[in-house]
Amino acid sequence: MRTTITCRDCVDLLMEYIDHTLEPAAQTRLDEHLASCPPCIHFLKTYKKCTEFSGQLRDQKVQIPQELESRLQSFLKQEIQKPPEEPGTQKKSHAHSRR
Amino acid sequence: MNTREMDQHQIVEGLKNHNPDTIDEFVHHFSRPLFGVILNYTKNPSDAEEILQDTLLKIIRKIETFREESDIWPWIKRIAVNNSIMWLRKYRAARERETQLDDSMPHFTNDGQYVNPPWGWSVDPEEVMLNRELAGELYDAIQALPFEYRMPLVLRDIEGYSIKQISSLLSLKEPTTKTRIHRARLSVREKLSHYFEDGI
Repeated sequence: MRTTITCRDCVDLLMEYIDHTLEPAAQTRLDEHLASCPPCIHFLKTYKKCTEFSGQLRDQKVQIPQELESRLQSFLKQEIQKPPEEPGTQKKSHAHSRR
Repeated sequence: MNTREMDQHQIVEGLKNHNPDTIDEFVHHFSRPLFGVILNYTKNPSDAEEILQDTLLKIIRKIETFREESDIWPWIKRIAVNNSIMWLRKYRAARERETQLDDSMPHFTNDGQYVNPPWGWSVDPEEVMLNRELAGELYDAIQALPFEYRMPLVLRDIEGYSIKQISSLLSLKEPTTKTRIHRARLSVREKLSHYFEDGI
């Protein structure tokens, strides 16, 4: 028997819908629901848009202070003179003045 | 990320030999993009700086294992991602209470309809562009997610990892990974919904 998809079902299935991993029958039923449900269309568009926006954060440009760069350079040159620490014995940062 | 400004072979050889000039150049060249990657996992600058420092040291210690025929940036970035996850799991995750994101789910009636239908908005969501302010709100919304939801979302939507890779990295079953990503997206969408409503 063919069951009807509700808006709640639609929201639950959105991730698989946009990833195209739904079973064909479920895909068809969801397409049918979306064709006649403007609120779910809006929900789908905003859900999808948020994932696209997140992808754009990948290319964010950040700055780091020159002072941090200098500290990292000094720290690394100092550290590589030491033998590597055994796993599980590594200590937290030494180059940070605030810790 | 390209390494044109500095020859990759020179970097690898210089790091292997612990050449001080190469280390300076390596830090200058890679610390900023690496910091960008790490900030996707934590917005706490102190944590991010520690992870960056630890990552740079790990890269130098592991440089012997790098296969020179491949591009160095994906290899370096993978170390940063793995290190961010390990570091945050060790020092931060335990302090963050496991949280459910039920509040981010839309509310439905007993027959599965929206209590407050998301329609009648003034702008088509597809026309909303990511501006600086919205990017800031999006970043804050992601960083406000509990650790167990934030990590899968960042790995999937920002870094583009597959569900299988994320499940392996975070030691989760695939359905759990999917559920967490979906709930995290719903939470982020809810926090940004005013942008779609107001058309800013």
